[in-house]
Amino acid sequence: MKPVRSNSSPLTGRCFPWFSIFFLLVCAFINQTLLGAQIQSPVDISLGDRALRFLQMRDYSVRIVAVGSILIGISCGMMGSFVVTRRLSLFGDTLSHAVLPGIAIGFLWVEAKDNLALLIGASMAGFLGVACVTLLKKFSKVRQDSALGLVLSGFYAIGICILTRIQKMEFGNQAGLDTYLFGQVSSLSESDLWGICISLALIVLFMTSNHRELLVSGFDLEFSKSMGLPSEAIQYAMWGLLAFCVISSLQVIGVILASALLIIPAASASLLAKRMSTYILVSALLGAIAGFVGAFLSFLGQRIPTGPLIVVVATTFFLLILFLRPSQGIIVNWLQSRRQSRQIEMENMLKAIYQVMEKQEFSEPAVRMEEVTRRRGVGKDSRAKEIESLIDSGYVSRSYEKNKFAKLPHEQFISLTPKGWENACRIVRNHRLWELYLTNEARYAADHVHEDAEKIEHVLGEETVRKIERLLSNPKKDPHGKLIPSLVDVRKGWLPEFPLNKNE
Amino acid sequence: MTLIPEYDFKKIFFEPWSTLELCIWNGQIILMGILVCWTCGIVGSFIVVRRMALMGDAISHGILPGLALAFICSGSMALGPMWIGSCVAGITCSFCIEWLRFQTPIKEDAALGLVFTSFFATGVLMLGMEAENAHIDPECILYGEIGFTPLAPDLKLGSLRLGNQALWTMGGVFLSVAIAAVVFYRQILISSFDPILARSMGTPVRQVHLGLMLSLSLATVASLEAVGVILVVAMFVFPAVTASFFFDRLSSIVFFSLPLGLAYSIGGFHLAHWFDCSLAASMVVFAGLLFIPCCFLAPNSGILWKITSLRNVGR
Amino acid sequence: MRNSQKPIEIHDLTVSYQKKPVLYGIDLEVEKGSLVGIIGPNGAGKSTLLKTIMNMIKPNGGYVRIFGHPPKKGISCIGYVPQRESVDWDFPVTVMDVVLMGRYGKLNWFQRIRKADRKIASECLEKVGMLHLADRQIGNLSGGQQQRVFLARALAQESQLYIMDEPFSGVDAVTEKTIVLMLKEMKKMGKTLLIVHHDLSSAKEYFDYLLLLNMRKVAYGTIQDVFSHDLLQKTYGGRLTILSEMASQTAGNREIEKEAYSTSE
Repeated sequence: MKPVRSNSSPLTGRCFPWFSIFFLLVCAFINQTLLGAQIQSPVDISLGDRALRFLQMRDYSVRIVAVGSILIGISCGMMGSFVVTRRLSLFGDTLSHAVLPGIAIGFLWVEAKDNLALLIGASMAGFLGVACVTLLKKFSKVRQDSALGLVLSGFYAIGICILTRIQKMEFGNQAGLDTYLFGQVSSLSESDLWGICISLALIVLFMTSNHRELLVSGFDLEFSKSMGLPSEAIQYAMWGLLAFCVISSLQVIGVILASALLIIPAASASLLAKRMSTYILVSALLGAIAGFVGAFLSFLGQRIPTGPLIVVVATTFFLLILFLRPSQGIIVNWLQSRRQSRQIEMENMLKAIYQVMEKQEFSEPAVRMEEVTRRRGVGKDSRAKEIESLIDSGYVSRSYEKNKFAKLPHEQFISLTPKGWENACRIVRNHRLWELYLTNEARYAADHVHEDAEKIEHVLGEETVRKIERLLSNPKKDPHGKLIPSLVDVRKGWLPEFPLNKNE
Repeated sequence: MTLIPEYDFKKIFFEPWSTLELCIWNGQIILMGILVCWTCGIVGSFIVVRRMALMGDAISHGILPGLALAFICSGSMALGPMWIGSCVAGITCSFCIEWLRFQTPIKEDAALGLVFTSFFATGVLMLGMEAENAHIDPECILYGEIGFTPLAPDLKLGSLRLGNQALWTMGGVFLSVAIAAVVFYRQILISSFDPILARSMGTPVRQVHLGLMLSLSLATVASLEAVGVILVVAMFVFPAVTASFFFDRLSSIVFFSLPLGLAYSIGGFHLAHWFDCSLAASMVVFAGLLFIPCCFLAPNSGILWKITSLRNVGR
Repeated sequence: MRNSQKPIEIHDLTVSYQKKPVLYGIDLEVEKGSLVGIIGPNGAGKSTLLKTIMNMIKPNGGYVRIFGHPPKKGISCIGYVPQRESVDWDFPVTVMDVVLMGRYGKLNWFQRIRKADRKIASECLEKVGMLHLADRQIGNLSGGQQQRVFLARALAQESQLYIMDEPFSGVDAVTEKTIVLMLKEMKKMGKTLLIVHHDLSSAKEYFDYLLLLNMRKVAYGTIQDVFSHDLLQKTYGGRLTILSEMASQTAGNREIEKEAYSTSE
């Protein structure tokens, strides 16, 4: 789904930065007000109590966890919408793996789990990783997919090397760095929250102030260059933000799965949204929900890492959207196709009735049901059912007539109602007009056109019919020499004493 | 204790081989490393030339739920059920990716990222829940511990003791992959280079693809306990990419992954001894260290030559 | 028995590609030993026609017969020269490897490449004047040279029917000459050639027969018959809008396909 350029007024672009500064203040406010009792060891509390405790949000740390996971979901969701539309999903994955050595070195640097040091280390490693991929792609014959694989696994290996090394050093046992692999939301601290808030505010600031440039350069890079927009600068700024966003969320979701929170909400949003602005909103919303629910579940089961939980929740939402979405969802599609099949069946049956009547030269208003079903071929029972449904929808009326041989059951006769007649005429007309169009305009042989007309007749709209009629100067007969029911016949309804086209 | 310990040639290169027991112990580790590198190198060469390096990444992650399920059902870490489980998960994973790609508006890269992270997360959760009442080590599957290789029980044939079981298994996997690669080389080559021609000659392109995916799963599972699911990606990609700087025939690339595997394993082992860190990870780091000079200095395609020639053109 | 059949027989072929109709009711019979050029504007379905013959796309209606066989079986009689862009040129294979691929069809599953195959491959390379580059990686060749390698591969296949997708696009004059000579020679050997071409001006010299294609078959016949202003105008003069519009609505619509043949008239 391509993002469509939204028609925002030029004014909004200019006043949005104020909004994000406001947003930063709100974040600060949230942080300040998050005061409360420190969390006690929650291990021995039952599941229900824990759920209650989380939902009541009385604890300070619970609040931090909830707010943190929601904010991370939002920022990843927003960033993800750009990552996915620009087809950079796997860059996100590589980036998140590549920060591992940075985290390890940052830890080593201050010999403690200091957030700032980790952040700086991670940022540097992340940038180095992305630079490696870019350089490999640009200067060597290594293809992009291989380059991503190389950097991803190579950097990750360095990270593991250093981590295992750290564990053998004297201060290593207090590291708890393995929470960075899969994330552990309960280890989120206030300073982490600050990092998250800042990165979110930066993202919002960046997106709102460069909203149009982002849209244009994402949709058509060449065009945006030709317009003189600073595409390159925006590209690099986006990289920086992406790195920042991934790094600030590592505490919650972990290195290995960080890309999932970028990709999955955005991919779900791409199924729903048609405009970039709604896209970003939906994606952020889904991210927030996934973050919150994941954090909640992780809080319930103390030992389960948060990252996988968030991902599983996000995937569940994705699947729900995929199957239930209104436009192309599988269930909706199925209903639609059933409706269409019914419609086609009905139209074919009406046509068959018309043809039987035509064979009798419209002498009788009613036709034998036997004959109609025979004409439609295969499966007498199902055909009878189709007629029933035609009767139910008021296209056909039924009459019985006593059989000549009294012992046999009554013979069934059916006749078209005015509504049925109109539809039958329409479908036969479509069929024959199309055959004529194919033979006259597209130069097909007359024995070739029937099969195609069988399909087209169901989708030929009034407007197209008019066009074809004009093109063929209101024809009367189809290539096989049969009469084409005219507009007058369609409108007139069935009049038995005044058979079709008698005057011709 | 600092991050980079003092470089002591004797300690690094002689100490591991000073006594017979140490020789046997470390020799098993290195042999395991070599076998893993060879198996993954062969499969990886084909994967990389088909531009499916990231598919390899995705599948190696995506097999995790299959492994977890196989473990929960069979209760053991034996290769058989693990492989079946991983194959099922791997094929499901690639099927999901293809389905999302072609049947929904989701793009290829997003589909890849979406499916494998979801699979991986499910697998981690399953393992996490199982870890409470069983003694499976999720860490081992995720990061691998090649150092435990010598601890594996001996393979017994009647009363005959044939030596380390893990090594035998890995050796068997390597042999089967190598034989398959030699026998079906022609089919893989043609269906990778020109699938249309391949199909016109009656080569079952889809089956070749499927076979590659299966051997990818097999290689991943077999090397799982040694290197883990994430580092195995490096084992797939590094040999092939490094070799492709020097050779321009697929068969040479495949063959060159053998000496490279030897170098990775031995080099990585000593590197790990120096730094006293994870063996598997240092094998990959060594691979990376080998890759960098190759990337710059390789004849014809090295970056350095390219830059100088560009400059000459500029003049 | 095979040769008594027509190399290509297409009946009422309708193909849609990603829900867009590309070919509509094509009828075509190609005689043995003819050199046929397929001409039409961009998006007229030229490549799709080839792909359908090659069994890469399933038609929505109608059928293709290759020497009397359905495409799945008949495809083995075809030597295919793909569009140059459709192949990954960074792939690590040498020129010789590529030409040898043409021999794979003649080998059994587990058979190694024989000496005779190598000999044939070098002869084919010689014919296109590329033998001296046999050990080069294909990515290091120029566009024209790459095309000649493909031609050599097709020669090595020793097929009865050749299908080529734009062999003349983006090649140098020498290559173009070589290709034309090869084509004429192959025709003399009684092979049938089907070639997609984009250049109207040269079509007249290169081919004996022309197929004018624009969603439907506009005309098919010898150059003298078909190469007329009127017909070319028709080929290049836009589409039948209503036809393409309606066809795109039905294409790929399963419900319509399913119900379409249940009535009989």
